[in-house]
Amino acid sequence: MNSGRELHLVGLSHKSAPVAVREKVALGGDALKEALAGLAARPGVGEAMVVSTCNRVECYVYGESLEEARHFFLARTGEAEGHLYERSGREAVRHLFRVAASLDSMVVGEPQILGQVKEAYGMAASAETAGAFVSRLCNRAFATAKRVRNETEIARGAGSVSQVAVELVEKIFGNLEGRAVLLVGAGKMGALSAKALRDLGADRVLVTNRSPERAAALAAEIGAVAEPWDALTSLLALADVVIVSTGAPTYVITRELAAQVMKARRGRSVCFIDLAVPRNVDPACGEQDNVYAYDIDDLQRVVSQTHAARAEEAIRAEAIVEAEVMAFAQERETRAALPVLAELRRHAEEIARAEAERTLAHLGGKLDEKGRKSVEAMAHAIVNKLLHGPTARLKEAAASGDSELPGAAAELFGVGENENPRARSRPEKDSGAAAHPESHR
Amino acid sequence: MSLLVLRFAALFYAGAVTAYVLYFARPRHQALATAGQWLLAVAFLVHAAAIGLGCKEYGGAEFFGLRGGLVFMTWLAAGASLVVQRLYRIPAVGAFVTPLILVVLLPTLFLVKPDFPEVLPEAVRLPMLTVHIVTALLGVALFAMASLVAVMYLLQEREVKGKRFGALFSRLPSLAALDQLNQRLVRAGFVVYTVALLTGSAMAKVVWKSAWQWDPQQVSSLVIWLLYAAMVQLRHTGWHGRRFALLTIVAFGLVLGSMVTLNVLPAGFTRHAGDFSGARK
Repeated sequence: MNSGRELHLVGLSHKSAPVAVREKVALGGDALKEALAGLAARPGVGEAMVVSTCNRVECYVYGESLEEARHFFLARTGEAEGHLYERSGREAVRHLFRVAASLDSMVVGEPQILGQVKEAYGMAASAETAGAFVSRLCNRAFATAKRVRNETEIARGAGSVSQVAVELVEKIFGNLEGRAVLLVGAGKMGALSAKALRDLGADRVLVTNRSPERAAALAAEIGAVAEPWDALTSLLALADVVIVSTGAPTYVITRELAAQVMKARRGRSVCFIDLAVPRNVDPACGEQDNVYAYDIDDLQRVVSQTHAARAEEAIRAEAIVEAEVMAFAQERETRAALPVLAELRRHAEEIARAEAERTLAHLGGKLDEKGRKSVEAMAHAIVNKLLHGPTARLKEAAASGDSELPGAAAELFGVGENENPRARSRPEKDSGAAAHPESHR
Repeated sequence: MSLLVLRFAALFYAGAVTAYVLYFARPRHQALATAGQWLLAVAFLVHAAAIGLGCKEYGGAEFFGLRGGLVFMTWLAAGASLVVQRLYRIPAVGAFVTPLILVVLLPTLFLVKPDFPEVLPEAVRLPMLTVHIVTALLGVALFAMASLVAVMYLLQEREVKGKRFGALFSRLPSLAALDQLNQRLVRAGFVVYTVALLTGSAMAKVVWKSAWQWDPQQVSSLVIWLLYAAMVQLRHTGWHGRRFALLTIVAFGLVLGSMVTLNVLPAGFTRHAGDFSGARK
């Protein structure tokens, strides 16, 4: 038994630490691989995995204590002290499951985190710090996330302003192929939305700004084309989606301008998304046929509706996570008891077979085929009868979480578990990398 | 016999309606949409069998009455919506079209009394007549579908403009998709209806010796044709969206109105058949 080994977690996230601290400990790529290898080489650490995103850095260690995981942070920056949270055993498992299921995210239900956890696991696997335990743990975490996604509505709706904008545009224009997006002004949220729309397949993204330098810089950043501010009217005639976020104190797009633009567009639909405060698009624009106008409040309202709905769904998701944590713990305990059982049975059967053979050799040819079979059957039956009680008891103990009995049984019957780890470290399905024995030091 | 088979077809239509409506309520269950489509396809085939049997039983004269007309039109509508599903993959349309098909088909299941001439008059036994009937009914079926899609457009536009983003918003397809589908259905219906109009006047020429008679049915058919022609033309000059959807609904209202007031469907053919068998020489 690895009775001393547990899953330990030390981490910090958007909930516990400011970005100034998070960015000091965040790491990726080769740096992360090196750090993982260093971590796994430390005494008392069996397996290790690090989840590092812009919102969280979490160090999972399967080993004897969580000190090594703490050290991982404190070695990077002393500032981490005081922002760290620590979990062990079942609590740590639950935490990972909740993270993967996006229940611990800043925007609950956002879809990226699962991919990031998968990435973290892949990283640990390629650094050979993820063994049998972490593989099983991660597979279970991914399955949990999938269940939460499929069985609850937690990922439904738009969770951010740019997502709402994208959804709206999709409902108006359907496919964005062949459409043009115009970004008026150089606001950050506007750039985000324009980027999202370009990813959706918009053919052209145009940027215009009062200061041509900023327009050019922004265009370069999001892969768009900068256009002069004077051409605004003709640009509006081109664009199907217009995202406005300038610092202007008045309407940049007035009702009259919109009417003029619609005439030039021969009535083709246009969608104005006004992200500026104070507003830059006259809301009266939306009264015209085929003109759709939204301001930041409209979008924000949808976001908060989504958040309210997700909070409700989160309760159901937590129940799923809880069930999976329990199932994982139980599976693990059963797994821990099974090698002892198998070993015990193998051991007993070996003795029985040897004894039967010896008896048969002793009797020589005095027995016919039938008699020989009876002796063998008797030996086998004695093993079964003797082991019946202990087998049932061990299985029971495993299921109820008692991890002492299997160890005691192993000791009592003298079946070693030295060779067990190898027998147990079967690679999990699609673990991506061959699991390696826990003896990795 | 054909009635029994038709009732079977209606059962399958009811199944398709259930699947599509459930899909509309629970869009996450994609399998429901697939089930709806398969049930609709089966219903269409069984319906075809019923029509074939009916032709055998009544010698084809069946489709001169109201009942036969409805039976045939719903079959064409089912076929058209199968084609639309295949081309556009907007299962939400099924939730609107299949209930209408079932509702129109229902009375024919219980209206057993034949309302058509026992024997088809010799004068109208032209191959053109079949073409005329099929195209006229298909045209009306396509216009009906276009107006349903227009209703979907208006519902969705209300959601999008009203900034409601509720259940309908997420379930109905995009405005662009609905607008395009509406326009294509109108265009297809217009082409088919044109054929119906041409064969109709060609027959009039044969039977009445004159293509144009100022017959009320001819006049209303021409008005409807002109309206749809105008719509197809307006489309090119940028008409779309809300106004086009409203126009589609108004135009179909006119089709329905003329059918009711002139009794086109029930008696139209019968009336003409009567004319044909009458003394006009």
